[in-house]
Amino acid sequence: MRGQTFLGAIALGLLAAGAYVGLVASPPDAFQGEYVRIMYAHVPNAWVAYVAFAITCVASALYLAKRTPVYDYIAHSATELGVVFTGLALVTGSIWGRPVWGTWWTWDARLVTTAVLFFIYLGALLVRGLADDPRRGARLAAVVSIVGFLDVPVIHYSVVWFRTLHQPASLTRGDIKIAPPMLAALLLGLLAFTVLFAYLLTLRIRLARAEDAGEAA
Amino acid sequence: MTTIDRVAAVTSKELLLEWRGRQTATAMGMVALLVILFLGVVLGSEPARAPAVLWVAMGFATVLGIPRLTQAEVEQQALETLLLYPGSREHIYWGKFLALVVMLTALLAFLWALVGVLFNIPIWTHLPALIGIGVLGVIGLAAIGTLLAGVVLHVRARELLMPLLLLPLALPVVLGCVRLTEAALAGRGEGMWLVVLGVFGLTALLVCPILFEVVMEEP
Repeated sequence: MRGQTFLGAIALGLLAAGAYVGLVASPPDAFQGEYVRIMYAHVPNAWVAYVAFAITCVASALYLAKRTPVYDYIAHSATELGVVFTGLALVTGSIWGRPVWGTWWTWDARLVTTAVLFFIYLGALLVRGLADDPRRGARLAAVVSIVGFLDVPVIHYSVVWFRTLHQPASLTRGDIKIAPPMLAALLLGLLAFTVLFAYLLTLRIRLARAEDAGEAA
Repeated sequence: MTTIDRVAAVTSKELLLEWRGRQTATAMGMVALLVILFLGVVLGSEPARAPAVLWVAMGFATVLGIPRLTQAEVEQQALETLLLYPGSREHIYWGKFLALVVMLTALLAFLWALVGVLFNIPIWTHLPALIGIGVLGVIGLAAIGTLLAGVVLHVRARELLMPLLLLPLALPVVLGCVRLTEAALAGRGEGMWLVVLGVFGLTALLVCPILFEVVMEEP
């Protein structure tokens, strides 16, 4: 409990620091101008989303192997947070793409893979919710999550190859050279979102445990 | 009873059930037909569009057909009996998988005849390549589809859930088959996509039977 609140306080502090460095202390980009600041929120969002799904896959596999409820709490919580952060990554990416690429959406491999991932894990959540027995729901969600995670690389490369026959990769993001304050803003954002995610995950796991205990009682 | 006997028993049971009613086959055929008709009207019937139209229709027809693969177990409470038979549950997976392969193959052959006429495609000249692509595509769809048929066995709103589960997971199969078909019709080779479909099919056939046993456990 104490540790959790402490973690939340750290996340809040890091987010405030990240917002300051990202919005005030870092310079505008030579090409993208002020719009580059969206990156400091977008990239960490996408990163956390992928971390969440990796955690879901590992926890699901452990749950199927050991059948200890705690792994299911972790998998369930990570899936939920993953869906939220994937949704945010898609929205922030879209907002960023509009001024920088001139379009809200493009059939770029990373975009399509992220959108497909969003639907796969949404499906896993729905299967869990609609199953006739909570334990069965946990097992079925784990199965869908594992299959989905194994499928992600294949989906990614198939979208890359499907599109490269039509259009060359004209949209490459970011510059190779990045100014130190901008790098600091990005790294700070990554750290802040990771800690925030860890905090939310522990919170959600506690809730899952309490829910389970409540149902059993 | 050997493994092959058990698998064959499940397959023949599924196909016999389907043959008596022929509801699933009819529904799948109708949906695929309508998708082809809609897309044909909307996009126009240039031969270059045919591969995409055909495989999108296959994808949606599969979505419709998969929940039916475990319908008898749901409606007639036949699951307990099926699970009581000796042997591992992988046999049920392979039996249902083969039944789905047969149904999807029949559907694909029917759709090719239709698309050939509607989109003016010389199917006969490309037949060997198209059969090869069809085999890879049908195996990919059936491998993942059979697992999902088990997943929705004890889930409410199973028919509504199926598109959300199958379409994202089967996206590489559809993309690969579209590109391979395009290449075959143009007389080109596409080694890369063969690898994608091969890897997808192999991984699915290795992982799905194992996960199917987990899916089939009693709560």
